[in-house]
Amino acid sequence: MAAQWIKPSTRPDPIEDLVSGVDRYNPSNVSILEDYLYHQIRSEEYDLLANLAILKLYQFNPDLHNPDVVINILLKALAASPLPDFNLCISILDERTTPSSLDEPDPLPTTLPLLKVLQNLLYRCRFPAFWQTYNSEEFETLRDNYTVEVAGFENSIRQVAIRAVKATFTHITSQRLGSYLNLEGDALTAYVKQLAWAVDSATGNIVVPPNPDNQIEATVVQEQIKLPQLTKVISHAVKA
Amino acid sequence: MQQHMVQQNAFAQIPDAVKAFIVHFHQAVLDNNLPEITVAYESGWNKYTEKYYAKTEWPEAELIAPLVNDDPIFLILYRELYYRHVYSRLQPNIDDRFHSYENSCELFNYLLNSDGPVQLELPESWLWDIIDEFIYQYQVFCSWRSKPKNKTDDELVMLAEGGPVWSSYSVLNVLYSLMQKSKINEYIVAQREGKSPEEIAEIVGEYGQRPLYRLLGYFSIIGLLRVHVLLGDFTLALKVMDDIELNQKNPFTRVTACHVTTYYYVGFCYIMLRRYPDAIRTFVTILNFIMRMKQYHTRSYQYDQISKTADRMYALFAVCHALSPSRLDDNIGNIAKERFAEQYAKMSRGGGDALAAFEELFLYACPKFITANPPPYDDPAALQNLLAPPSPADSEAAEPASQPDATHRHLQLFLSDVAAQSQVPTLRSFLKLYTSLGAKKLANFLDADEEEMVQEMMVVKQASRSISRVPGAESSGLLDGQTITTSDLNFVIAENMVHITESTVGRRYAGWFIKNTERTQKILDDLKTMPLPASKVPTQQQQQQQQQQQLAKPVGGEKKVAWGSVSKA
Repeated sequence: MAAQWIKPSTRPDPIEDLVSGVDRYNPSNVSILEDYLYHQIRSEEYDLLANLAILKLYQFNPDLHNPDVVINILLKALAASPLPDFNLCISILDERTTPSSLDEPDPLPTTLPLLKVLQNLLYRCRFPAFWQTYNSEEFETLRDNYTVEVAGFENSIRQVAIRAVKATFTHITSQRLGSYLNLEGDALTAYVKQLAWAVDSATGNIVVPPNPDNQIEATVVQEQIKLPQLTKVISHAVKA
Repeated sequence: MQQHMVQQNAFAQIPDAVKAFIVHFHQAVLDNNLPEITVAYESGWNKYTEKYYAKTEWPEAELIAPLVNDDPIFLILYRELYYRHVYSRLQPNIDDRFHSYENSCELFNYLLNSDGPVQLELPESWLWDIIDEFIYQYQVFCSWRSKPKNKTDDELVMLAEGGPVWSSYSVLNVLYSLMQKSKINEYIVAQREGKSPEEIAEIVGEYGQRPLYRLLGYFSIIGLLRVHVLLGDFTLALKVMDDIELNQKNPFTRVTACHVTTYYYVGFCYIMLRRYPDAIRTFVTILNFIMRMKQYHTRSYQYDQISKTADRMYALFAVCHALSPSRLDDNIGNIAKERFAEQYAKMSRGGGDALAAFEELFLYACPKFITANPPPYDDPAALQNLLAPPSPADSEAAEPASQPDATHRHLQLFLSDVAAQSQVPTLRSFLKLYTSLGAKKLANFLDADEEEMVQEMMVVKQASRSISRVPGAESSGLLDGQTITTSDLNFVIAENMVHITESTVGRRYAGWFIKNTERTQKILDDLKTMPLPASKVPTQQQQQQQQQQQLAKPVGGEKKVAWGSVSKA
C-alpha cells in the first residue's frame, strides 16, 4: 500500500531520478515534472511525490509559481483521501505575498477555499454532501475550468467512497450506496456490476465482498514474548 | 591611530585567564589533540562564558588574532563559538546575522573546497553543534526576516540586497555537499551489508574515511530532516532518512543531542502524515532512552535542551494517544498523561473543548516553522501594501503586519484533521456498550440524523486504521508501511445493524516471571560468590536467620513469595 504511494509503478525512470536525487531542486526541471503532472491528469495516474517536487520548486522559486498546476495537483490529491496527500500539498504551499504589479488575476486564492471544503467533506465521509456541493452553482467555475480536464475525476472520488464502504459495510442498501456514488438506476447497477459486487436477490441490497476490514471477530490478544526480553535469563543459563 | 589605541585598550581588557584559555585552546586545535579540544569546548568555553561573558560578547576574533598568530582556521572556529554565544545569550543584530552566515560559509568552504580532506579533528559534539547551530541560525533569520515591521531603514536596505544570505538554497547546498563529499549514504549502506573495513574505505573514498567528514555527513542528513520539517515538507523529510536505520545499534547515536533531535522530527513528521502509531512508537523509544540516560546527562551542557525537547515529545505523545488510543508502553504513557493531565482529558473526550487542548499542545510542541521566502523587501510598493493594507481598517487595531505565519498554516491543517475526528470518542464509548445495535437507535442516542451517523461511522472506521511501519523491516525506509488496525473496538454495518466486537488483552505474565527469574539468578550468583563461613557456629546462626526471614517473607505480597520459594529451591 505504502510502496505504491512512495513509488507508483507507473513512474518513469527519469522522474524517479528527479524525485530521489538532488536534481529535484533544479528549477530548470520544473517543466519535466509539470508535463508529468499533465500526463497523470490525462491518463488517470497519480504520483504524489513527483507532484510534491513541483510544489517544492515553487516554494523555493516563487517566480515559477503556476496556479493552474497547483490546482490540478490538489485535485489529484483529493482522491487520495483518507491519506493526507491534500494536506501535505497545502503544507508546502507557502502563503504568497501579492506582488505590487499583477499581470492577471491569480485563481488560487478563490479556488483554494473551495478545494478545502471538498477535502473536508471527503475526509469526513460526507459523500452525499460532497456531490451536492461539487455540483452546486458555486463550484461551476471549478468544474468548467479544471475538473473537466482531469480524466476520471468523478470516478476517482467514487473510489474514495468505495474504500470507506468496503471497510465499514457487509451489506448496504442500493439507495445509500447510490447517494455515496452520486449514481442511480442503470448507472448504479452498471457500476456495482463493474465492481463485481453481488446483489442480494431477496432484499435487493448490495453485498460488499468480505475483506479484512469488514470481517470482525472478537479476539483475545495473547502476550507475545520477544527474544530480547529473555536475553539476560538465557545468557545466564549459558554461563551457568 | 586612534582605532589602534582603542584596540589595544580592548585587548588589555581581556582577562588573563581568558587569554591563556584561548592560547591553550588554539594549541590543542593545532595539535589535533582531541581530548584537550573536547575539554576546552565542553567545559572551558562554558566556564569562562559564565564567569566573564554571561551578558556580553566574547572578544571579537580580530582582537584575539595576535594570540593565535592570526591562524585563519582557528579564527573561523572561534567565530563559530562567538556567534553561537551571541545567538544564545544576547540579541543578534543584523550584522551578527549576516556575519555568522559568512563565517559558516567560510568554515564549510574550508572543509569542502581545500585540496583534499583537511587534517582538522573536532569532537563529535562540536561537529553536531556546528550543523545544529547552522540550521538554528537559518531558522531564526527566516522568522526574523518574515516580520517587516519595526525594521530600520538600514535593515530594510540590507534585506533587499541580502541575496543568498541564509537562503534556503544555500543552506540545502551546504548540507547536500557535506553528504556527498563524505559519501555518507554509501557508507551506511555498506555498513549494513556487512562489508569489510577495506571495502568500505574504498567505497567512501578519502573524505569518507575521516571521522570529521563522516560525522558531518551524517549530521547533515539529520539537518536536512530538520530543514524539510521547518519548511513543511514532511514526506521529503522522511525520504532523506531512507538509508538510516532508526535503532539503538546505529553507531551515530553517541551524540545524544543528535539522537534526540532525530526522533523528535521523525515523530513529528508521522503526526503530520496521520501515522499516529508510528509517531507514538518513535516518541516512546526516545523517551525511554532519555529516561535511561538521564543519570549520565544531567551534567551535559546540552541537558537543558534535551529535557525541553523531551517535554515537547511528551506533549506530542499525549496528542497522538488521544487521536489513536493504544496500549503501548505504560510508563511513558503515564508520565505524559500526568504531565498534561488536563489537556489529555479534554482531548480524549473529544467534542468542543478538545480542539483548544489540541491547539495548545500543538503550539507548545511543534517545530519553529518558517517560510521559505522573504516578504517582498525588493519590491517597496508590495512591502508597503503588506505593512499598511490599503483598507479603511484602523492600522492600530489590525494585527501587527507580518507575513502570514507558517505555524498557523500547519496548525490549521492539523486541527482540521482533529476536528474531523471529534465525534469518534463519543461514538466509540457508545459502541463499547453493545454487541449489536440498530443504526436508528444509535442515531437517537446521539440526537443525530441516521444517514449522518452512518457516515460518521465510516469516519470512526477510518480513524481506527493507519499506515504503520512493519516491525522487523527497519531497513525499508521510514515512509514504508502497511495498513494496520489501531483500535480494540471493531464493528461492521450490515444494512442498518451495527455489529460490534472488542479485542481484549489476555493477562500478562511474562514480565513478572522474567523479572523474578533475573532477580533469582542474581541472588544465586551472590550466594555463590559469598566467602565460605569461617566456623560452624555462625553458619547455624545464619541458617536460622535465613529461615526466620523465609517465614517472615510470604506475608509481604506477591513479589516476596517468589523470593521465598527461590531460597527454598
